[in-house]
Amino acid sequence: MSNPRYFCGSLNQSSGVIERLCNGGEPLRLGETIMQADNLTRGFGTGSQFTLAVDHVSLEVLSGQFVLIMGPSGSGKSTMLAILSGLLKPDSGSVYCLGENIWSLTDIEREQFRLDHCGFIFQGYNLFSALSARQQLEMVATWGNHFSQQEARLRADGLLERLGLGGKGHLRPSELSGGEKQRVAIGRALIKNPNLLFADEPTSALDWTHGEEVVKLLRHLTREEGATVVCVTHDPRLVPFADRVFHMEDGHLVRQSYGYMSHPEEAVLPLPEPGEILPGPGDVVTFRPRIAP
Amino acid sequence: MGYSLTTLWYERQRYFPAILAVGFSSLLGCLQFGLLLGLFAIVSIPIDNSRADIWLGAPQALSVDLGRPIRESQAVDRLASNPEVDRCETYLQGFAYWAKPNGGMELCMVMGCRLDDSSLGRIKQLTPELHHQLTEPGSIVVDESDLSRLGLKNIGDTAEIVGNRVRVVGLTKGVKSLAGPYVMCSVTTARSLLRLMPEQITYVLGKCHDPADAPKVVARLRAQHGTDISVFAADEFSFRSRWHWLTKTKAGFALGYAAVLGLLVGAVVTSQTLYAATAASLREFAVLRAMGIPRWRMSVMVMTQASWVGVVGVLLSFPAIYGLSKVADIYGVQVLLDWRMVASVSGITLVMAVLSGLYALRSLKYVEPALLLR
Repeated sequence: MSNPRYFCGSLNQSSGVIERLCNGGEPLRLGETIMQADNLTRGFGTGSQFTLAVDHVSLEVLSGQFVLIMGPSGSGKSTMLAILSGLLKPDSGSVYCLGENIWSLTDIEREQFRLDHCGFIFQGYNLFSALSARQQLEMVATWGNHFSQQEARLRADGLLERLGLGGKGHLRPSELSGGEKQRVAIGRALIKNPNLLFADEPTSALDWTHGEEVVKLLRHLTREEGATVVCVTHDPRLVPFADRVFHMEDGHLVRQSYGYMSHPEEAVLPLPEPGEILPGPGDVVTFRPRIAP
Repeated sequence: MGYSLTTLWYERQRYFPAILAVGFSSLLGCLQFGLLLGLFAIVSIPIDNSRADIWLGAPQALSVDLGRPIRESQAVDRLASNPEVDRCETYLQGFAYWAKPNGGMELCMVMGCRLDDSSLGRIKQLTPELHHQLTEPGSIVVDESDLSRLGLKNIGDTAEIVGNRVRVVGLTKGVKSLAGPYVMCSVTTARSLLRLMPEQITYVLGKCHDPADAPKVVARLRAQHGTDISVFAADEFSFRSRWHWLTKTKAGFALGYAAVLGLLVGAVVTSQTLYAATAASLREFAVLRAMGIPRWRMSVMVMTQASWVGVVGVLLSFPAIYGLSKVADIYGVQVLLDWRMVASVSGITLVMAVLSGLYALRSLKYVEPALLLR
C-alpha cells in the first residue's frame, strides 16, 4: 500500500457529523478503512513442532464497525487479534492502522500508539481484586491519560453510569456479578476513549443473558461512539450483532460475511472496488487469500 | 488512598508476612544495638557519671578501664597550667583481684576518687552518705547487683583485694559491671588496692570554668605534649572507651552479626512476599501493558507497596521494642534505646524493604500482554 490514509470517528447520528479526529487532526469518516492487514503470517515453535498459526491472511476493517473474527479452537483467531492490536509481531506482513504501519514502529512508539488508540477486553475480567470498579477505571485514566485524580473520577463515574453501573463504583470485583465485572472491564478499556477496541471472547465466561448485554453494549459503542470493535469469538450468537464476520480455519481466512441482522441503513458497508459487486446483509461470501500460501 | 495502600490493606493477609519480617528486622536490630550500647555504656560509667570535663592519662589510653600509672605532680602541672582549667584532681582506676570471703577469685574494677562534695571523679550514684563512709581506709562500696558475684551477703561483709582487707560500707544502685564489678573507694584506699606508689595515679581530671573550653584545652595539650600523654574531653573519652570495646571484642561483632542476619531474613521474606504478590497480579498488569500503560507505572506501584510494607513494619516494631527493653530492664539487662540508633536502624530497615521491592520488580519482566490472547 502506498501512502494510506484512514479515518475513524464518532458519528453524531442526528447531524451525521464526525466527532472524533484521527491522528493528524483530520476529521474521521465512518465506514472508511481504519485497519488494513496484508499478508500476515505468524508461526510458533521450531523444527517438527513448528505450527503456522496465521497463514498469509489479509483483511480490512472499516471504522465504526463491529467486526468478529470467528473460528474453531486453534484456528489462529486470537493470534490474529494479537497481531492486529500490536501485541504480537508477525513473521511477515504488515498492519496499517490509522495510517501507521504499526509493525514498523519502535516498541516505544507502538506502546504509545496503543495508549492513544487502543482498548482491550480479554477473556477473563483481569480486574485488580483490591480495587473498586471506579478505581479500575481511574487507574487507566490517571496512568495512561495523565488525568488528575478528580478528572479521572468524574470520567470513571460518568462511564460507569453509562454502562449501567451507577451506584456500584465503590464495589470490588468480588462484590459484582460476572456481567457487571465484564462491564467494568469494558469501562476500563473505554475510559481512554479509544478508536479501536479489541475484545477476546468477551462473553465466554458469561451466561447468555449477561453475554447479550455485553454484545449489545459493544455494538452500541460502534453506533453511538463511532469506535471500531474487533472481537474474537467462537460463539455464533454474536453474529447477528456484527457488521462483518471474518471466518478463520487452520490459520487461513476462509470467508467473510455480514451479520445476519444488520440492516442496510445501519450497516456500514465497505467502499466498493471499481466493478466489485458487494454482497448484501446475511450473504456469505467465500474469501480467497490475496496471496496463496 | 493510593492504589498501593488500598491493595496492601485489602490483601493484608498476603502482605502480613512481609510486614512481620520487616518488623522483626527492626526489632532485632534495635534490640541488638540497644544491648550493645547498653553493654558498652558500662565501660564508660566512670566518665559519664562524673563531673570532669577533661581526662588526662598515660599515653595511648584505649579505654578508661585500661589506664596505666602516671606521675601525679607532672600530670597535674600540665593540666593546671591551662588558664581555662578551674581545678584538677587525681583519680585512680584499675583492675584488681577480689578474693571472695568463701573462697574463689573475681576480677574487679577499683575506682578511687576524692570524697569531698565538689569531687570531680565521684560518680553520681555515690551519695553523700556513702562517700562520708568511704573516708575510713579500707572501706569500699559496691553495687547491689554484684553482691553475689563478689561472694557478699550484706553491708559490713569483708573480703580481700590483693591481700588488703576491705569492708563493704554501702551499696549503690545501677552501677552495672562488665569485665569486673566496680569497687568504689577513696584515693588512699585505691592506691593500696592497686599497689600504686605514692606519686602514682591513673588520671588527672580537670574542670573548666566553661565546659565548652574543654576541646580547646585538649587540643593545646596534645600540641604541647604529643604522644607523652593521652588527653580527652569527657565525651570523646567516653565514646573512645565504648568504641574500643565495641571493636576489640568478639561480643560486639557477634551482636552486630545477629542484627545483620535479622535484616537479611527480613529482606528475603519481604522480597519473596512482594514477588509473589506481584506475580499474582501479572494478568491485570498485562492488561494495562496492552493498553499502553508504561511499565514504570507498575514498577512505581510495587516500589510504593514495598515502602509501605517497610513503614508499617517499622512502626509496628516500636511498641514491641519498647516493651522488650522494659522486660530486659526488669532482668537487669540494659537496652539503651538511643534515638539516633533507633532512627538509623529504622532507616536501614526501610532501605532494606525498598531494596526488596527492587528485587520483586523482576516479576514484572514476565508481564506479557500477548499471553492474554492465547
